[in-house]
Parts: sequence; C-alpha cells; structure tokens
Amino acid sequence: MSIDWITVIAQIANFLVLVWLLKRFLYRPILNGIDAREAEIKRRMAEAGEAEKKAQAAEAEFRQQQKQLFSDQDAVVKEALRESEVQRDSLLAEARTKLEREQQDWHKHLERERQKFTAQLQRAGEETLLELTRKALRDLADESLEEAIVRHVSARLRPIVGELSEAAGDSKEAVATTRDTLPEAAQALLLADVQSLLPGIDLRFESDSQQAPGLILRVGGAQIAWTVDSYTEEFDALLNERMAAGASGRIQPTGT
Amino acid sequence: MQLTPDDIIVFTLAGWKVNATIVNTWIVMALLVGISMLITRNLRPDVPPNRWRTALEVIVKLIQSQIEEVTRNSARHVMYFAGTLFLFIALSNLMLVVPGFSPPTSSLSTTAALALSVLVAVPVFGIASGGVGHYLKTFIEPSVIMLPFNIIGEFSRGISLAIRLYGNVMSGAVIAAILLTVAPFFFPVVMDMLGLLTGMIQAYIFAILATVYISSATAEPDHPALKKEDKS
Repeated sequence: MSIDWITVIAQIANFLVLVWLLKRFLYRPILNGIDAREAEIKRRMAEAGEAEKKAQAAEAEFRQQQKQLFSDQDAVVKEALRESEVQRDSLLAEARTKLEREQQDWHKHLERERQKFTAQLQRAGEETLLELTRKALRDLADESLEEAIVRHVSARLRPIVGELSEAAGDSKEAVATTRDTLPEAAQALLLADVQSLLPGIDLRFESDSQQAPGLILRVGGAQIAWTVDSYTEEFDALLNERMAAGASGRIQPTGT
Repeated sequence: MQLTPDDIIVFTLAGWKVNATIVNTWIVMALLVGISMLITRNLRPDVPPNRWRTALEVIVKLIQSQIEEVTRNSARHVMYFAGTLFLFIALSNLMLVVPGFSPPTSSLSTTAALALSVLVAVPVFGIASGGVGHYLKTFIEPSVIMLPFNIIGEFSRGISLAIRLYGNVMSGAVIAAILLTVAPFFFPVVMDMLGLLTGMIQAYIFAILATVYISSATAEPDHPALKKEDKS
C-alpha cells in the first residue's frame, strides 16, 4: 500500500474537472430547471388563483343578479298584469263604443228603411184607396170621384160663404188646386158652384203633383179642402201599428 | 495480487505512465458527464420532465436536501463539491460489479486525493465565507491552548477520510478476490453485493463528513444552528 503522488495530483485535477463538468452539465441545468418549473408552477398557480377569484366574483355577481331578478320578477309580473288589464279595458271600451256606434248606425239605417218603406206603402195605399173609391163610385153611383169631390167641397162651401167673402177681401180670384188636372165636367161643375155662391170671383184651376189627391179651394186668405190625407192618416196609423208589432205579427184590432 | 490499480499501467503518454486508477477515473467521469449531458440537453420549464430527468432531479434534490440538513442553508457551491464527491465515489463503488474494472476509490492515491481536496476545500470555503481572520480564529477556539490540537485535528480529518474510504473499498475488493479463490461461485456474489452496500454507505459518509467539515468552517460562531449542534 503506497501513495503515488503523481496519481494523487492527477486525481485531484480529475476531481476538480469533474466538479466543474457536473456543475456545468448536471447541477446547474437540473436546479435551474427545477427553479424555472417551480416559478412556472407558481405563476400558473397565481394565474389559477386569479382566475378562481374572478370566477368567484363572477359567480357572486351572477347570484346577486339572479337574486335581484327573482325579487324583481313579482313586480314585473304585477306591472305586466296591470298593463294588460289597462289595455284590455281600453280595447273593450273601444270595441263597445264601436259596437254601439255600429248599432246606432244600424238602427238609423233600419229606421230610414222603415220610413222609406212606410212612405212607399202609404203612397201605394193612397193610390189604391183612391182607385178603389173611384171604381166604387163609378160602379155604385155612376159618378166620377172628381165630381163627387167637387160636390163635397161645394157643399162645405155653402155654409161659410159669408166668411169666405170676408176672407177674400179685395181678391177677385179663387184658386182650385188638384194633384191631377180636373176633368172638364168637374171643372165646369166647380166653376158653376163658385160663380153661384161667390159672384164676382173668378176661378182658376192649378195642378200640383206634390199635393195629395183631392181638391183645395183658396179664396184670399181662406181655403176649403178635401184630400185623402185625412183618410190616409188612419191608414198610416194602422200601418205604423203593424210595423211596431214587428215579427210577432199580432195586429191590434182597431175600434172602427 | 494487485492491491491497488495504481500499479497497473495502461499506457504511457509522453513519458507519463497512465495507470488504471486514472483511466478508470476518466471512465467514471465520462459516464457521469455523459449521462448528465444526455439527460439535461433539452430542458424546458414548460415541458413535463421525462423519467430520466425525474430520476436525475430526485438524485440532485436528495443531495441538496442532505446538504441543507447539515449546513442549514442551500449554498450551491457546497453542493457542487460534496455532491460530486458522492456521485463519483458512489458510481466508482457501484462499478465494483463490472468484471475487470478496478474502482478508482480502491486506490489510496484516489482517496488521498479526495481527502486532500476536502482538506483544501475546508479552509477555502471557510475563508470565502467569513474571511481569513474568521477562519484562523477558529483554530484558537475555544482557547489558544487548543491551537495545536485544532491543527492536528484538521489534518487528521483528511487522513481519516482517506484511509476510511480506501480501507472499505479496497477491503471489499480484496475480500472478494480472496473468496473467489476459495468458493468461486457463491461468496464473491455475496461479497460484491455487500460491497455495493458498503460502497454506497462510504460514499454517503465521505460526502456528509466533507459537508460537515465545510459547514463547520463556514458557519458563523453565533449561528443558531451551530449553537444548537454544540448543545447536542
């Protein structure tokens, strides 16, 4: 057992070289790698912690908003119900107004139709009545209706001749107005009666298509008339009564 | 029978006889550096370590933790020195099982060189840590009377380190060689296995003792850790 000092020196050198080499290729890379990885892990942990804090903050905010939404939900529903009720009332009122207006228009329309129908019916009734009367007179008394009317007016003229003369005053003309022109015989009959009752008074004949069938004799401010209006009024009353009865179809018996 | 590989001349370089101790040291060095370079060539912090790098990290962290337990700090230069001692001795002793390979640590020249390295490293680390005055002051502590004893103790530490390592490694190799002649198939295997165990223990003890010596030289007198050690 001996020590070779040259070998000792060489081994010291070898050892120092090995220290340097391992420091260069082992310790420093490994330790630096570990430190870097620890720093990386620490950084990622910090980022993860930060992200977790953000997530927790976001979650808290979300829960707060959710809570707020839940608390506001009742108020929102109540408000929506109130608004819907207001809108419903408004729509109902509008619909009701529109319906009432349409009903009024419809009633007016019906009334107009009824009046139009009644007028047409009245005219037709008058014409029919007149024709029937004329036919009855011709068949029963062999007399025309116009002559009968003239005789009726003359008969009514006779008791009030004095009053008519006063009413005539300075007027020297009497006017006989009919709807249709009077026949020659009726004109002659009326002219003869007027001249005999009211001497000095000229008679003039006029026709007015708007006038009711009949005869109106005007002397100054007075007049004597006979028209079918008085007869047709009863006819109109009967018609109105039947129209008012409507769909029931019941007809109230008249007193006549 | 060769008791030391110093006597085996492998080749001569410019008149210098290169013996097996030096050549085997180079082999061990090449293995250590080669493996380290191979594993640590592409280290990136964002890439998970593979199994080889993990193994190397475990070894390095183990060395670092052992040194930190002794020195109470994480001085890297101490780890470079003591860690290299451990790795070199451990790998040398492990290569005892390689047929025909004489571990460099079985040479008294190698162990003496390592002991001398520790002997020199202790004052170097001490002076680098606290200055010349502080280091020299440690020789007259606790009193001036202790100066010769401290000087003797300083040298005896190196000698004991060298002899202990050499004796353990060399004795294992010698015993294995003797038993090989007696029972060539059974006992050498058992002895080699025992040699591996004692080799690792010797590497650990050598490195730890070196660390203790260095830490005692670098620690400040009023260091709490040192006081605690003194009390124990």
